[in-house]
Amino acid sequence: MHEIKIAEELSVIVVDKAREAGLSVVERVNVSFGQLVQIVPDIFEFAFREAVRDTVAAEAALNIEIIPLEMRCLSCGADYNPVENYPSCRTCGALDITVVHGKELFIKSIEGE
Amino acid sequence: MTMEIRIMKNILDRNQNKADEVRSLLAEKNVKMVNVISSPGAGKTTLLERTCEALGGKIRIGVIEGDVTTDRDAQRLKKYDIPIVVINTEGGCHLDSHSISKALGMFDLDTLDLLFVENVGNLICPSEFDLGEAFKLAVVSTAEGDDKPAKYPRLFSEAGAVILNKTDLLPYTNFNTEAFKADLAVINPDVPLFNISATRGDGLQAWLDWMEKQLNSL
Repeated sequence: MHEIKIAEELSVIVVDKAREAGLSVVERVNVSFGQLVQIVPDIFEFAFREAVRDTVAAEAALNIEIIPLEMRCLSCGADYNPVENYPSCRTCGALDITVVHGKELFIKSIEGE
Repeated sequence: MTMEIRIMKNILDRNQNKADEVRSLLAEKNVKMVNVISSPGAGKTTLLERTCEALGGKIRIGVIEGDVTTDRDAQRLKKYDIPIVVINTEGGCHLDSHSISKALGMFDLDTLDLLFVENVGNLICPSEFDLGEAFKLAVVSTAEGDDKPAKYPRLFSEAGAVILNKTDLLPYTNFNTEAFKADLAVINPDVPLFNISATRGDGLQAWLDWMEKQLNSL
């Protein structure tokens, strides 16, 4: 249920940015979550609705993009999407690997007027 | 007219900034903080009991007990005469850096070497919140099954050490130690793994020696 805390933090940012930009209504909130963050979109949507209640973003649509896990092999340099979480390099089999994408927890933008 | 405001910001920025603050405060005070993460019932508190028992005389240990409710874990550690601060999350499934920062204010950091944070029992949410720790310690017990590293890669990939607890129960479970090790080796190849039974004391010495060594090297 880390979704609740993350939704609360998101709503703080959304309300702040809307005020800064002079928006009276936020119509859409665009976020990106990496696969490794293990956010369940339905639960997040529910938590977000509670978090933005009675704010300028109360009616905002939530657009969640899930970013698939992408690894880079530090041995041969190949980038690849693993079949399961964190397997070895699909090209050379090395275990010397790093996460390129999958840990994102970003608010990309808000839309409104 | 509708307009789009570009933000591109980490949603947990506030937590991260506070964690960075905590980390530099602890570095300045020369206190090593260990964030202990496991499922409920994996044996975090028993591990801390054994660790305080063995190292309490040589190392000045403090504990932050994160629990949804009650101070039962803290009560168990009272007998070691160490400073303990309880954080009740009242339903929250993890600790965050703001609650840790507040708790640190209740310790005299000049009189501590090692600070354990016993996080709320949960393998997903606590992994997401940097507390400013020196490293995360993942604890898993044989009764939970050998598939935990594969199912919770975030925690196991970031852990600075892993403890496999309740090895005394191995004969009564279908836990496959080799499969567990193989999954872990793929996710976090160099992480130190300690096989222990915290209740019986098997394998504890290796953990204690390693932990003590970290105090001098972190």
